[in-house]
Amino acid sequence: MTLTGSRLRQIGWSAMLGFCLAGFIVLSLTVHAVRNEVVLAEREIIELKQAKQRLETEFQARASQHQLAKWNRVDLGYKAPRADQYLDTRKDLAALGVPLAPDAPSPVRVARAETGENGEIAKLASRDMVSPVSGEKITLAAANAEEDAGAAFAEAFGDILIEASPIREARAQTVNASFPSESNE
Amino acid sequence: MSTSASSLGPAQPSLFDRAIAPAPKPAEKTARKPARRALAPTLPGFLQGDAARKPAKARSGRVKLMDLRQQWLLSARARVVFLLMAFAALALVALVQIAWLGMSGASPSSRPTATALVPDRGEITDRNGVPLARAYPAYSLYFYPKAMGSGADDPLVKSPEDVTKELLGIFPHMNKERTLRLLKSGKSGVLRRKILPEEANQVWSIGEPSVQTPRSPDRHYPQGKLAAHVLGRVLENDEGKKVGAFGMEQALEAQLSDPVARAQPAALSIDVRVQGALEDEMGRGMLASGAKGAAGIVLDVDTGEVLAMASLPDFDPNRISFEDKDNTGNRVSFLTGELGSTFKPLTVAAAIDSGVVRDLRKSWNAAPVTVAGKTYEDSDFKGASLNIPQALAYSSNTVTMRVARELGGERLRQVMIDLGMNRAPNIELQARGTPYWPSGKWSPQTTMTVGFGHALTVTPLHLANAYAAMVNGGIYRDATLLKVEPGQADPGRRVFKASTSHRMRQMLRMVAIYGTGKGANAPGFRVGGKTGTAEKLINGRYSQSKMLTTFASAFPMDRPRYVVVVTLDEPTFTEAMRGRTAAFNAAPIVGNLIRRAGPMLGVRPDNTRDVDISDLQNLMGKGE
Repeated sequence: MTLTGSRLRQIGWSAMLGFCLAGFIVLSLTVHAVRNEVVLAEREIIELKQAKQRLETEFQARASQHQLAKWNRVDLGYKAPRADQYLDTRKDLAALGVPLAPDAPSPVRVARAETGENGEIAKLASRDMVSPVSGEKITLAAANAEEDAGAAFAEAFGDILIEASPIREARAQTVNASFPSESNE
Repeated sequence: MSTSASSLGPAQPSLFDRAIAPAPKPAEKTARKPARRALAPTLPGFLQGDAARKPAKARSGRVKLMDLRQQWLLSARARVVFLLMAFAALALVALVQIAWLGMSGASPSSRPTATALVPDRGEITDRNGVPLARAYPAYSLYFYPKAMGSGADDPLVKSPEDVTKELLGIFPHMNKERTLRLLKSGKSGVLRRKILPEEANQVWSIGEPSVQTPRSPDRHYPQGKLAAHVLGRVLENDEGKKVGAFGMEQALEAQLSDPVARAQPAALSIDVRVQGALEDEMGRGMLASGAKGAAGIVLDVDTGEVLAMASLPDFDPNRISFEDKDNTGNRVSFLTGELGSTFKPLTVAAAIDSGVVRDLRKSWNAAPVTVAGKTYEDSDFKGASLNIPQALAYSSNTVTMRVARELGGERLRQVMIDLGMNRAPNIELQARGTPYWPSGKWSPQTTMTVGFGHALTVTPLHLANAYAAMVNGGIYRDATLLKVEPGQADPGRRVFKASTSHRMRQMLRMVAIYGTGKGANAPGFRVGGKTGTAEKLINGRYSQSKMLTTFASAFPMDRPRYVVVVTLDEPTFTEAMRGRTAAFNAAPIVGNLIRRAGPMLGVRPDNTRDVDISDLQNLMGKGE
């Protein structure tokens, strides 16, 4: 069986046709697979939107105007702003930040160090550091010891810090607060 | 199988031919065996028939035998080809099937996004988009006997009595007899609507597959009782379809149920914050004064939008049993009454507008008036003669009656008609009260009594509309509960001259500064308004103890933006209120409300601004 030129061309054309057909089928299958993915994603979007709407409605119901008014009356006590609480101009705003007058009370400070007569800071080390829980004296040998200061601190305070950690309590509160519907209704 | 085999054509030996072929010799048995075995299950009947004919055709030559073999070989090949073709056809069908599934079958028939988020009934929001009514899939308690299989004799695991008892443990207010009856009947039905998720969990733990808690679309009002009278309620009609029973649910029925329009929420003119403040202040005022009901409205004077409308006692549209259905009457737009002295500014405005009152300094006789055998006097004597600002500030009946008499019945009647007092208020709600309107030509007595707010019953909404027209420059607009986009407000119609409106602002402000409206004078908000205390007409007689007290006001008076009207029904003398008239109960409610809601409404309290009353201030000395 010899292959003439026209026969070769025929085979070539049909191979090309077959290739295109296969390509077309594969492509359209892929397209439809992607389309299905899109539809599934859309469904998920709808589900999430509906869930969002439900949560929003629940939030609105739990924080309704009547409920807010009740809370405000009992717990918060907020009042509408008075006329003198509004500032008209920039000048009024700037007036809030003027330097202190000579007879003004000294501003409240959050931290303070003992100062001596000459204004020099008294030696802080003169007071012993004690444990806030047991009252025992704690020696921080960090300054003149060779061992690592952090390790010394951890050794001295580690247990206390773990026991007295505020993080624990806060976390406990969050855990409780995350189930309001179980207990409140 | 046999029919398709015969369709292979005449060149191939048919199965029938083979069946009548001569019987093989013992030597050929082995060769024949497979073919025969293959034929055996298909043509057992023919083979049986052959056995009888075999001996007749058994003697044949060797050549004939070869032909026969050839034939058998051919037929075996044909069978193989046929089998292959069958497999190919099957594979083709499978391929086509896969292609078809890939193209269309597996994908959902329609894209869900377009319709899935459209609620079954449109949402109602306030002017800022806060949802007031929305579709919400609530759990319901449903009895579905078929859950245990349609053939099951007993749809329940436990006895109906036990199940009822357990359900009553979860829902103490459930109707025991009805529940038991439904559970025993074996028919499916709703046991209870709108149950909480926690309750649904408890029902689940009963362990009855037939007692289910499906989620079904329902109407939910997240703000509870807030604006209940405005929103109304949805009820099931005879066909089981949910339709608006009253309120805006009914007024907007077409929009809320339209498949296309309901995708967009319907925005009302209400502002929930103001509405909440109004209801809160009214509720407290009602409690403090011992009143049996209250009505309040906040109206935008330039657009007619209702920012808040409250009627107490109220009801919860979410409730199923609807125990407080007596409270569904809207006291703002439906219940009418004589609103008393709040009409005096309208009478004075009409008199100024028509030129009857030109000089506000002029003194008017404040002696008791006798008309048609009845004597009217001022409840609080302030002097033998009063000027107009004094008459309003001290709420003088006698001076207003004389002004009304001078104005004349025809002109006063026309102004009242212009202010819409002769017909039900034009608002979207169905609950619109028709006023009692004195028919025919007004006699002097009718004119004079209408002048101070008697002999004519209207709703607080009528009064709010009229006050809006009086202070906004003289343009009357009907109130609306739908949000009005900027620049789209109804042009309205002119009732008063702008100059009259300006005068009235001054005088209403003076009432709040010097007169009976002091209780409403919220600092910085430039409130102006008028009190009104009217005895209620009970069985044709004015009651001495049952009153309707009203405070109608507007703020800020230098450029009025909102009208506030609050009415109390039958307030009593209490320690908290120290008095029964509007000055003691209705005015402080308005004052508190404006203090609270003013900043929300965009009115900044400002002690440095006010309407200029310097030309009238000196008229407020004691009457002569």
